[in-house]
Amino acid sequence: MTRTLRRSGWVLGLAALLAALLLLTKLIQPGFGASGIESLVRAALPFAFATAALAVVVIAGGIDLSVASMMAVASVTAAVLMESAGEAATVPVVLLVLLVGIAMGAINGALVVWTRLPDIVVTLAMLFVWEGVALLILQAPGGAATPWLRQLIVGPFPIPGLPEGATAFLPKSLVVLVFCLALVWLPLRRSRLGLSIYAIGSDPTAAFRSGVAIGPTRIAAYGIAGLLAALGGLSLTLSTGIGEPIPGPYLLAAVAAVVLGGVALTGGRGGLLGPILAVLILRVVRLILTLLSVDPNVTTIIEGTIMAVVVMLGGLLAMRERRA
Amino acid sequence: MTHRHRAVALAALLVGMGGMAAAQDTYTIGISNTVQGNGWREQMICAMKAQALDSGKVASLNIAHRNTDAAGQLEDIRNLIQAGVDAIVVNPANPEGINDAIKEATAAGIVVVAVDQAVTEPSAYVISNNQEEYAYLGAKWLFEQMGGSGDVVYMRGAAGASADDDRDRGFKRALEEYPEINVAQEVFTGWQQDQAKQQILDFIASGIPFDGIWTSGIDNVIVDALVESEVPLVPVVGADNAGFVGQLLDVEGLQGAAVTNPGSVGGAGVALALQILDGQVPAEQTVLVTPELWDNASEDGRAKLEGAQNPDLDPEWPVSVSIPGWTTYDMAEIIACKGPGE
Repeated sequence: MTRTLRRSGWVLGLAALLAALLLLTKLIQPGFGASGIESLVRAALPFAFATAALAVVVIAGGIDLSVASMMAVASVTAAVLMESAGEAATVPVVLLVLLVGIAMGAINGALVVWTRLPDIVVTLAMLFVWEGVALLILQAPGGAATPWLRQLIVGPFPIPGLPEGATAFLPKSLVVLVFCLALVWLPLRRSRLGLSIYAIGSDPTAAFRSGVAIGPTRIAAYGIAGLLAALGGLSLTLSTGIGEPIPGPYLLAAVAAVVLGGVALTGGRGGLLGPILAVLILRVVRLILTLLSVDPNVTTIIEGTIMAVVVMLGGLLAMRERRA
Repeated sequence: MTHRHRAVALAALLVGMGGMAAAQDTYTIGISNTVQGNGWREQMICAMKAQALDSGKVASLNIAHRNTDAAGQLEDIRNLIQAGVDAIVVNPANPEGINDAIKEATAAGIVVVAVDQAVTEPSAYVISNNQEEYAYLGAKWLFEQMGGSGDVVYMRGAAGASADDDRDRGFKRALEEYPEINVAQEVFTGWQQDQAKQQILDFIASGIPFDGIWTSGIDNVIVDALVESEVPLVPVVGADNAGFVGQLLDVEGLQGAAVTNPGSVGGAGVALALQILDGQVPAEQTVLVTPELWDNASEDGRAKLEGAQNPDLDPEWPVSVSIPGWTTYDMAEIIACKGPGE
C-alpha cells in the first residue's frame, strides 16, 4: 500500500513539476499556447518511445544501451521501404518495421541470456552492430515517409462534437503516444508475463523459485523494448520525413528520463507514466532555456543539474518515508 | 527588452535619426546548429556572433547549439519560433529532414537562412560552401601530384552526413578522371581528430604502401602521425585549418594543399538574413561560396598560405575567417567571439 502511494506520489510530483514548468513558460513567453504544446509533444515523441523501451528492460533488471541504434535501424528501414514500396504498402511496411524491432530486441535478449555476459556489455556491443546495420541499409540520410502517415502526428486531435478551441490543446502526437504505449503496456501489466518481468527484475532467485522462466521472460522484455524502439524510429521518420542512419542522442536522454521517472535502476520497480512525464519535463526545460536564450554551453550543465537535484530530492523523500 | 527598445528609440530621437534606427536595432536572430565541440562549427558560431555585433542591427542572438540529429533540430527551430525571433540562421543536420520546421518558420514570417549545407525547402535562403567542389579540387590536385597513378588513402568525414556525401561525389568525380589511381584504404574519421590519428597510425603499421592522403579536413593530426612514425612524407590534402596551414609552411619535405572551407560562412548567413530583414531580397535563393586551393608546391599557393597564416588562431579553426563581400567584422572581433549583449 505505501509502495503504491509512494510511486503515485512520485508521479504526482512529476506532474506538478511539469505543470509548474508549463506555467513558467507561459510567464516567460505570453504567446505560448496550443501550437507551443503541440510542437513540444511532437519533439518529445522519439524520446518518449526510447524511454519507454529502456524502462521495460530496466524494470526487468537489465539495461539496453542499443536503444538509439535500434531506433536508427527502424527509422531507415521504414524510410527506405516507404520510398520504394509506395503509398499503398504503408501499413504492411509499418508492421514489418515493428516486427524488425521485436526481432532486434529479442536478439539482444537472447544474447544476454545465452552468453551469460552482463547486459551492459552485450548491449554495448549491439549498439555498434545495429549502428552498422543502419548504415548498411542507408549510407546517407534519405528515403521518404508516406505523407498521410506523417500527418498522423501533426496538429490538434479533432473530437467530433467539440469546438476547435476546446481540442486545440490536445495534440495528435499525444494521442498517438498514449495510444501506442497503452496498447503495449496495459495488457502486458495485467498479464502473467508482465508480472514475471517485475519479478525477475526485483529478485531473480525468488522469481526462479516461484517458477518463473527467467530466460524467456528476459528475452520477452528485450523484445518489447525492441518493439517500442521501433515505434521511436518510426516517429523519427514521421517527424523528419526521412531516415537517418546515425543514431540521435536518445540513449542518454532515455537513461535520464527513466531515472527521473522513478524507475529503480536495480530493477523491479517503476512504471511508464513517470518516465514519460520526465521526458516532457526535460523537453520543457530545453524550451525554457531557449526562450531565455541561455548560453548553449551552459544549457547542458543546467539540464544535468536539474536532473541530479530532482533525483536526490526524490531519494531524500523516500528515505524520510522509510524512517516514518 | 521593451525598456531597451524605449531607451534606444529615445536615444535615436534625440540624435535626430527618427524611428527608423530604433526599429533596426531590435532584430532578434535565432541560430540552430547540431554539432558542438568541433573547431569548424565553433568558428561558424563565433562568426555569427561577430557579424551580429558588428552590424549593430541585432538586439540579441538566441543560440540553440548542441549535438543532435534532424529530429532534435526540428525541436530547436520550433522552440526558436516560440521565442519569436525575426530570423533563423541554421546549419542543417540534413537537407530534407528539417523542412517542416523551416516551412512553419517562414509561414510565421521568420526569415530562414541555411548556411554551410543546403536545404530543399524552397522558402529558405541558402548560403553554403560548395562541398562537392571542395573534394574535387583537392583530389584532382593530389592525383596530379602523385603523377596520375598510385595508392591513395581516403579519409572521409562522418558516415551519413550530407556534407560527406557531397564530398564523396566530388572525390569520385576526380577519381574517374584518373583511372590509374587506386583507393588503398577508405575510412570514416567522423571528423574526430583522435579517431583519425589512430586510423592512420593503424594503417601505417599495416605496412601497406600508399602514395598520397586525402582528408576531409582532419589534417594536422595526419601530418603529425607521418612525422612521428618517421615514414616518408606523401602528399596530403586537407582544409585551411590553422594547424595544417602552419605545417604546410614549416614541415620539411611535406607537400600538400589546403582547400578553403570557411566556417565564417555563418557570419555571411547572418549578414544575408539582416539584408533580407531590411528589405534587400537577393536575386538568387542559393548563394554558393566557391572553395580555393592553396598548395605549397606552387609559388602562388605558398604566398596565399603565408598570407592566411595566423598564429593567434586555434589549430582547428579555418584560417579564412571572413568572406569578402559578406562579413564585415575584423580578426579581433571573431577571435573574441562575443555577440550582442555579451
